[in-house]
Amino acid sequence: MADQWQSSMDHAVAIARRAGEVVREALLDDRAVMTKSSSVDLVTQTDQKVEQLIIQSVKEKFPTHRFIGEESVAAGESCVLTDCPTWIIDPIDGTTNFVHAFPFVAVSIGFSVNKQVEFGVVYSCLEDKMFTARRGKGAFCNGQPLEVSEQKDIQQSIVATEFGSSRAPEAVDRIFCSLKNVLSIPVHGLRGAGTAAINMCLVASGCVEAYYEIGIHVWDVAAGSLIVCEAGGVLMDVEGGEVDLMSRRIIAANSRTIAERLVREIAPFRPPRDDAPPPN
Amino acid sequence: MSRTSGAHTRNTQLCVLLQSDVCLLHVSFPCFYSHQTSEFTLLVSNLNHAVQSGSLVVPQVVLSAFQQHKEVKLKSSPADLVTETDQRVEKILISAIRNRYPQHRFIGEESVAAGERLELTDSPTWIIDPIDGTVNFVHRFPFVAISIAFTFNKQIQFGIVYSCVEDKLFYAQRGGGAFLNGEPLYVSGQQDISRCVVVTEIGAERDDVALSTTTSNICRLLKLPVHGVRALGTAAVDMCQVATGGADAYYHIGMHCWDIAASAIIVQEAGGVVMDTDGSEFDMMSRRVIAASSATVADRIAQVIQAFPCCRDDEDNCRCGATGVN
Repeated sequence: MADQWQSSMDHAVAIARRAGEVVREALLDDRAVMTKSSSVDLVTQTDQKVEQLIIQSVKEKFPTHRFIGEESVAAGESCVLTDCPTWIIDPIDGTTNFVHAFPFVAVSIGFSVNKQVEFGVVYSCLEDKMFTARRGKGAFCNGQPLEVSEQKDIQQSIVATEFGSSRAPEAVDRIFCSLKNVLSIPVHGLRGAGTAAINMCLVASGCVEAYYEIGIHVWDVAAGSLIVCEAGGVLMDVEGGEVDLMSRRIIAANSRTIAERLVREIAPFRPPRDDAPPPN
Repeated sequence: MSRTSGAHTRNTQLCVLLQSDVCLLHVSFPCFYSHQTSEFTLLVSNLNHAVQSGSLVVPQVVLSAFQQHKEVKLKSSPADLVTETDQRVEKILISAIRNRYPQHRFIGEESVAAGERLELTDSPTWIIDPIDGTVNFVHRFPFVAISIAFTFNKQIQFGIVYSCVEDKLFYAQRGGGAFLNGEPLYVSGQQDISRCVVVTEIGAERDDVALSTTTSNICRLLKLPVHGVRALGTAAVDMCQVATGGADAYYHIGMHCWDIAASAIIVQEAGGVVMDTDGSEFDMMSRRVIAASSATVADRIAQVIQAFPCCRDDEDNCRCGATGVN
């Protein structure tokens, strides 16, 4: 039976690759930086340009599809997920890395129908690694199948996380409480590449056993969430319940065992949801 | 940023041979060097060629073992790992170098772990980390580096860091600039701490004092604020990000001289600074380092971070032995 979303997925891969070229070219120039929610929440013209490139190209081919894009939402568009086919776009995940030319920058495209992610594409454009997953059909990097690590012992695990762009003291203190708890288990190590999408692909690749973060957005994790699941991994909320991609909290792990162990160590807090109505 | 173009004449010629059937490289020097005629330039082009052609044996040993299951032993803590490949690579390197330069000395991570004395003298000395990022290596997290530094009169003369999985060869020679795969490297030059990306490592210590100090250091830095904090799992590759300009600073407490000797000169030759975490002069045996794009940023970090107690590498009773505990 033909896959009704195959042409959408093919388009996503092609446009992610094209977007990656734009990012690489932009790295050769100066990158003028603006800020969003805090002095360390960065955005550039390239973020905006790449998002428009992706959205325009999709609108031409799939005029009924909807969008949740990081920069569009920043400009006031709605961030509510409906049942309609919806492209969930982070044009540059790792904007801070992009500004600094720190080598991890990804284009992330998740596609949902009936509020379920049907495919995910993460293009790590400086590494030229195209991560993809189609629901029920596995996860791949540059055509090679991905499988999560088999490690079930948290003390033999590497965990990826990020400190995020909030500098609110309460958030920072909770983040560091979690960090110390996780390290004290002890784990083999902690890593942070600076992009949620790539961190999730590292879980899917088997290089790290888990990734957790509070403060990410739906566009950071929509694509990566399916890539992790299709590589055999699991998703969970930081307090142990079902993951909610709009909640701005996530654990992505190779197994429930590892995920549940992390739940015991994470000091949770609740950032404003992505789908919350904007404050008046 | 201009490169030093004058020649520094020393006693003997720098001569680099690559013997693809044995070893990554054989080097003798100190050297006469200028950019046009330097044999160090020849070294680099030979190294690049050998890397491209895949004829370097040592990286092949690492890369083929990278995909396999590894037997792991613990050293000083449950997060301080060593594998048979670490030991094998170090033996290959030392044997090949010693074969050609029998008078030279060595400080190698696994040799020291096996009980060799760690002492830096004025003699020509090779400081070797056969696999920096052993935890990464065990997990197939793709940042694993061979780090080789050479000292003479206790001064680092050149450094090579080869990030095997990325196929990135970082290198620098005193007075000769720093390079990545043939391209010159320059630090970012950033002076403003609030615009910095800082790289660091949690390290292998898991005792409460070390963990509290380490995490509170990162917390204080984040609140300055800085743009972000990153960790790739290998001191050598982390520091090379400062040399490329991709990060603005790196700091670490608890690493060893073999982790940072090579990348220290790479950062310096890229225009950056290295210093101790208390702001004093860099001392590679102190197990503390700040490497930064500018003295301003380095000083600011030194104001903020604290060091947990850590015995020096050259203290007699400070060893990371292979305990055999698994």
